[in-house]
Amino acid sequence: MTQPLLSIDDLHKSYGSEEVLEGVGLEMEQGDVTVLIGPSGSGKSTLLRCVNRLTEINSGRIALDGQDVTGTDTDVNELRKQVGMVFQDFNLFAHLTALENVTLGPKKVLGMDAADAEEAGRTHLEQVGLLEQADSYPAELSGGQKQRVGIARALAMDPELLLFDEPTSALDPELVGEVVEVMRDLAAEGITMLVVSHEMDFARSAASDIVFLDDGEIVEHGPPEQLFQNPTAERTEQFLSRLHAHEETA
Amino acid sequence: MSTAESTTSPNPGLRDRVGTVFTVRPLTVGLALFWVWVLARWTTDFVLAGVLGLDRGTPFVPAAPFLTTADTVASLAAPLGVAGAPLVWLADTLRFAADATAYLPALAHGIWTTVLLTVFSVCLGFTLALPLSVVRVYGGRWARWLALSYTELIRGTPLLAQLFVLYFATSLTQVLRGVPGVGVGFVPAQAFWVAVISFTLNSAAYQSEYLRASLESVDGGQLTAARAIGLSKLEGIRYVVVPQGLRLALPSWTNELVYLIKYSSLASFITVQELYGRTSTIANETYQYTELFVLVAILYLALVVSASALMDRVESHTATAGVGHTRQ
Repeated sequence: MTQPLLSIDDLHKSYGSEEVLEGVGLEMEQGDVTVLIGPSGSGKSTLLRCVNRLTEINSGRIALDGQDVTGTDTDVNELRKQVGMVFQDFNLFAHLTALENVTLGPKKVLGMDAADAEEAGRTHLEQVGLLEQADSYPAELSGGQKQRVGIARALAMDPELLLFDEPTSALDPELVGEVVEVMRDLAAEGITMLVVSHEMDFARSAASDIVFLDDGEIVEHGPPEQLFQNPTAERTEQFLSRLHAHEETA
Repeated sequence: MSTAESTTSPNPGLRDRVGTVFTVRPLTVGLALFWVWVLARWTTDFVLAGVLGLDRGTPFVPAAPFLTTADTVASLAAPLGVAGAPLVWLADTLRFAADATAYLPALAHGIWTTVLLTVFSVCLGFTLALPLSVVRVYGGRWARWLALSYTELIRGTPLLAQLFVLYFATSLTQVLRGVPGVGVGFVPAQAFWVAVISFTLNSAAYQSEYLRASLESVDGGQLTAARAIGLSKLEGIRYVVVPQGLRLALPSWTNELVYLIKYSSLASFITVQELYGRTSTIANETYQYTELFVLVAILYLALVVSASALMDRVESHTATAGVGHTRQ
C-alpha cells in the first residue's frame, strides 16, 4: 500500500469556546485534486490553514509524505517550502514586480542565485500566461492577473501540494475564467491540489474528489459525479440546491 | 496637484510647462547657487587655504563696493525726504549685503557643523529606530513595553534637557575627550559628539514612531504570504514589510530631517559652534543682531528647502505603484 501524500486524522480546532473543526479526517494521494465545499463558517479555510500551519491545531494529526506536520519540533519553514498557498485576496508583495514576487521565495528560501531564479520565474509566469507582465507591479494588474501571479509564486517553490483558499471569490465574474483555466491546467499536469472553492465548473471538470464540510465535520466525500448527482446526505443535497439556485440567478 | 484640478485644467501640458518655468526653476537655481557657494567656501577654507597657505575665511566678494554704493544711494535719498524711502531701503539692503559678505565665511563653517550634526544624528537615529519600530510592532510583550518606555521617555522630555543631562551630568564628555582623534584636524571636538549622541537618541524615538505607524499600515496579508512561501517571520519583516513601510514613512521622515536641521541649533548651548552658535557668537561681539539673525534665518531656510527637495527626489525615485501615495 502506498503512503498518502497528505493524511489528516481526527483534526480538532477551536477559536476560544467555538469549535471550528470537530474531528476531520482526509487523505490525498499524489496528483489528487480535492475540492472542499461547504457553507461559510464551516471550517474550510481553517482546515486549509492547518495544513501549512498558518493556524495551529488543538488535537489530531496531519502528515505530509509521512512526516508529522504539527509536531513542536517540525520546522514550519521547511514544511512551507513543500506546501504552496494561493490566497483569496492574492496578497502579492505590493512593492515587488510580478517577476520579483515569483522569485523572492526561490532566492531567499531555496537559496537559488538570482539568474536561475529569474529564469525559472519567467517559466512560471509563462505557465500562467503572464510573461509580458513580468515587470508590472501588482497595482498595475487586474484581479485575475494578480491571482495568476499568486499561483506562479506558489509554483515557483516547486511544492508537493498546493493549497487554494477561495482563489476566485474576490474576482469580478468575468475574470474568474482565466484563473480557473490555469488551475485546470495545473490539475491536468498532475499537481496535487487542495482547493476551497465554490467554482462548480472547476469542481466538475478538474476535481478527483469533492469534500462537503458542514459545521466542522466532513458530511460527505466522493468523486464529483457521485457527490453532485447522487448526494447521500440530506445536508449535502440542500447545500447543492442552494448553490445551483445561486448559480442560475448569478 | 489633486485629480480634480488636473481634470478640470483645460490644458494640463501647458500648465505643467508654465509651472516648471515660473515656480520650479528659480528655486532650483537658487538652491544650486547656495550650494555652489557653500561648497566653494568649504573647499577654499578647509582644503585650498591649507595647501596654498592662504588666510581662511577671506570673503569671496569685498564689502567696499556695497558700502560706497549704499552711501551714494543714501546721499541721493537725503534731499527727497519721505519720497526717498525706497532709496533708503535700497541703501539699507546694500549695507546688509556688505555686512553679509563679511560674516558669510564664518557662517559657512557653521553650516558645515550643522550639516554634519544633522546627517550623523538622523542616520544613526535611523539605525536605532528601525529595530525599535520592529520591536514595537512585532516584539513580545516585554520587548514592546521596553521600546515603548524608551520612546515615551524621550518624547516626553525636552531635547535641551536631554542634551544637558548628557553633557553636564554624565562623564560622557570626559570619555569622549579621551578617544584618540577627537578634536584633531577635521574631527570635531567632544561637545559635538555629545550632541550627536543626544540627537541620535532623541531622533531614534521620533523616527521609530513614524516607522511604527508605517509598519502597522502594511496589510497583514503581506506577512502571511511571506510566511506561506517559507520565509521566517524576521525574513518576512525584512524583505516584505519593512521595504513597504519605509516607502510609507518617507514623508514623515522628511519632517524629522527638517526638524533636526533646526533643533541641532540647541547644540550651541553646549558650546558647539554650529550655524546658530556661530551667528550668536558674532552677534554678541558686533551687536548686529538683526542683520545676523535675518542672515542665519535665510541660511536655515536654504538648508531646509534643500533637504525637502532632496527627499522629494528620493520619494519619486522610490515610488512604486500601489505602495503609499503615488503622485499624479
